[in-house]
Amino acid sequence: MRLKELGEKLELKGVTQVFERDVTGVYISDMVSDVIANAKAGDLLVTVQLHSNVIAAANLVDICGIVATQGKLPTDDVVRMAEKAKITIFSTDLNRWQMATKLYEAGVR
Amino acid sequence: MSTGADAGPRFRMVNVQPGYVIIEKERFSGAARSYFSAEPTPPKEEYVEGRQVWSYAGMAQSFQFDVRDSDTGRVTPFRELLGLLYYGCCREDSDIHRLGALAHELDISVYVAITYEAPGGSRLNISAEKIGILNRLFNERLRSPGKKILILPDLFDLYKEISHGQIAIDFGLTSMEQETPAGA
Repeated sequence: MRLKELGEKLELKGVTQVFERDVTGVYISDMVSDVIANAKAGDLLVTVQLHSNVIAAANLVDICGIVATQGKLPTDDVVRMAEKAKITIFSTDLNRWQMATKLYEAGVR
Repeated sequence: MSTGADAGPRFRMVNVQPGYVIIEKERFSGAARSYFSAEPTPPKEEYVEGRQVWSYAGMAQSFQFDVRDSDTGRVTPFRELLGLLYYGCCREDSDIHRLGALAHELDISVYVAITYEAPGGSRLNISAEKIGILNRLFNERLRSPGKKILILPDLFDLYKEISHGQIAIDFGLTSMEQETPAGA
């Protein structure tokens, strides 16, 4: 599924420009080291952490996009860094579990 | 031995060991240093080393890993690696940021491998061969067409400018940003 399509389907708020990528999986974590060790390229990262190191890790692993849960919003410099790295950030008021459920229901495995 | 396009990546992260980056400070000189601890509970005891007294100053969750070459079966440990510093986390007027920005135009993301300190206070060396393995490891994981990762050794002495406090705030292997100078 394409990232833009998924964002529209789940009514996610776009915090950055939405870059065209395929979503090939999901990884849920709030630890940068865990993301680097275990996430896969093309995964959508669901997290409550939105600092610059998360963008650095997401870029290193080739994460397709980030969903910030519980209404978290990144600072302007993090938005700039994400857009430069072509990493889409969405925001949702849902928590990580609720987001995981929605993603599963949407067919992302 | 891996063969053909379906064999998967040649280099894989193995023996992933979760733990903590422990930051400590010397009581009299104020010097700071860090090391990796795989203990279930991070050590916080003060201890004496010669004339120096080192106290716990903070920690961050992190991990260490080895890399396995599936062609040769060789496993390379990366115990000296403290983290990877993304150029985008560095000051915009720094050489690494300027270099990273140039590389970014070619879809190359630049990171710098920062190492732990040796017991004597100098930095642990990471060999050119190991830098090459790190580059292979992370580039083989990429899927975005044309995208590349370039991991450099710390040619810029960036470790001197890394704030140990940042490591305590953020988490993980890339838990480092250049310290903003006072008044900046």
